[in-house]
Amino acid sequence: MEGIFRGGSESDDEIFLQQANDEDEYHYSSSSISKLQFRKELSRARWVDGMGMAEVIEKKGQIWVTTGIVRNGKTYCSIEEILFFMEVGALCLVDDNDTCICLEDIYKKIEGKMGAYCLELFDVYRHLKSLGYIVGRHGTAWSLKAVKSTCRPVSLQVSEESSEVMTLGSADKLSIIELFGTMQINDMMPVFDVYLPNSRFRKSSPGSPNFTLYLSRDCPPSKAEIEVLERRCSGIPLKICQVDNGRVSFFSFDKVELLVLP
Amino acid sequence: MAPRWKGKGAEAKALADPVSKIVAQLQSSLIQTSASGILSGCSVLIAAEAEQTDLFSRACFGRPIVTVDKDKQWFQLSLEEAFFLCYSLKCLKIKVGDSSPKSYEELWHCMITRKETFSDLYKAYSHLRMKNWVVKSGSQYGVDFVAYRHHPSLVHSEYAVLVLSEGVGNDLNGRLRVWSDFHCTTRLCGSVVKTLLVLYINRNGNSNVSPLCLEKYTVEERTVSRWSPEQCREE
Repeated sequence: MEGIFRGGSESDDEIFLQQANDEDEYHYSSSSISKLQFRKELSRARWVDGMGMAEVIEKKGQIWVTTGIVRNGKTYCSIEEILFFMEVGALCLVDDNDTCICLEDIYKKIEGKMGAYCLELFDVYRHLKSLGYIVGRHGTAWSLKAVKSTCRPVSLQVSEESSEVMTLGSADKLSIIELFGTMQINDMMPVFDVYLPNSRFRKSSPGSPNFTLYLSRDCPPSKAEIEVLERRCSGIPLKICQVDNGRVSFFSFDKVELLVLP
Repeated sequence: MAPRWKGKGAEAKALADPVSKIVAQLQSSLIQTSASGILSGCSVLIAAEAEQTDLFSRACFGRPIVTVDKDKQWFQLSLEEAFFLCYSLKCLKIKVGDSSPKSYEELWHCMITRKETFSDLYKAYSHLRMKNWVVKSGSQYGVDFVAYRHHPSLVHSEYAVLVLSEGVGNDLNGRLRVWSDFHCTTRLCGSVVKTLLVLYINRNGNSNVSPLCLEKYTVEERTVSRWSPEQCREE
């Protein structure tokens, strides 16, 4: 039959295998749910209520090379970063009285801090981060040094003025919704700037991201919408992700020009 | 995705015998015999001379119909195929019943009345054919067309093609409206090793009352694919 990769009976097996893989995540017994390896290096961060971020007060391990933003010599991490590293047991979050904040409290917090699509955003973050991708909030500089020594396209540069805002000296919150409220197009919002796994990544000179990720909240984009997004990304590839009950899918819509054949 | 040739020598065979040349031969043969077809339902029937039979098959237009008729081989062409030979290649006349051949305008009207989506599907079909791709119906794969680099006996089709009309409210084809459509289509394309190609037809404010409008329509090509972060960790 035309089109089936290896043809014959093998193709049936392949389909069966594919299906088996898809359904792997449904476990009959709780003992087969995968457990994370215990991490012995525990960093500490203190929640700063007015900022909606946490200041890292004790750094352990390599995670901070690609996590958190640097402002005035301090490292701050966002709610998704906190949650991710708390889930894997690499971070302990404390409040002003140095009392540990438990995972449950964070799950309660994210609704307010990340807006209505909080868990979807976090699903996307976790999916990429756990595969080693370097994920930063779209439009937020990793460090102010990165802004100054930038090699990014003009439209993605954070102006001196707005980077002042992000020094976090003020009470400005960095809620994703506030940050992107003005940039949202119909149903889509730019959420993350993503870099492929890279051991030489430096926050001080991150370079251009490999792609900007948009989260689709409901309907897939029309062509006109994709074009607006492309212009906004000025040359940086874009991908659109869609989350269905924790399952994250990524799509590319690439403009092509079909060959004129002989 | 690289083209998947069917066996050794297929690629060389294709290179030596470009589709454009075969179609040009079919065109001149049909002109020589003043060929005409009969519009019936959503198909056009045509009786091919001995030499044309071979050319229809090699250029991959229509489907042969098995009849007892020894002198002639009948072919059943889709509306797009027939209109392409008639209007774009100017090598086929089309009749309805016993009447004299229809003018392009009349024929166009007949076709858009019979098939509401005809104008955009035709634009897509002719766009690909003009680039010398072999285009066949995609119904087996749940898409509008499939596109081959050469004859289907030499190569598997590379693209599963969906035609989308741009602009609000006039997309009669109604494909890819919700995310589950994307999942469904990309999944199917993946399992039959084809790339999903979406052709966006923009009428640029023109109507579809006459085939002359076609020139003002524009086509944009985009591939839509699932990106797998598990498999793309390196550049």
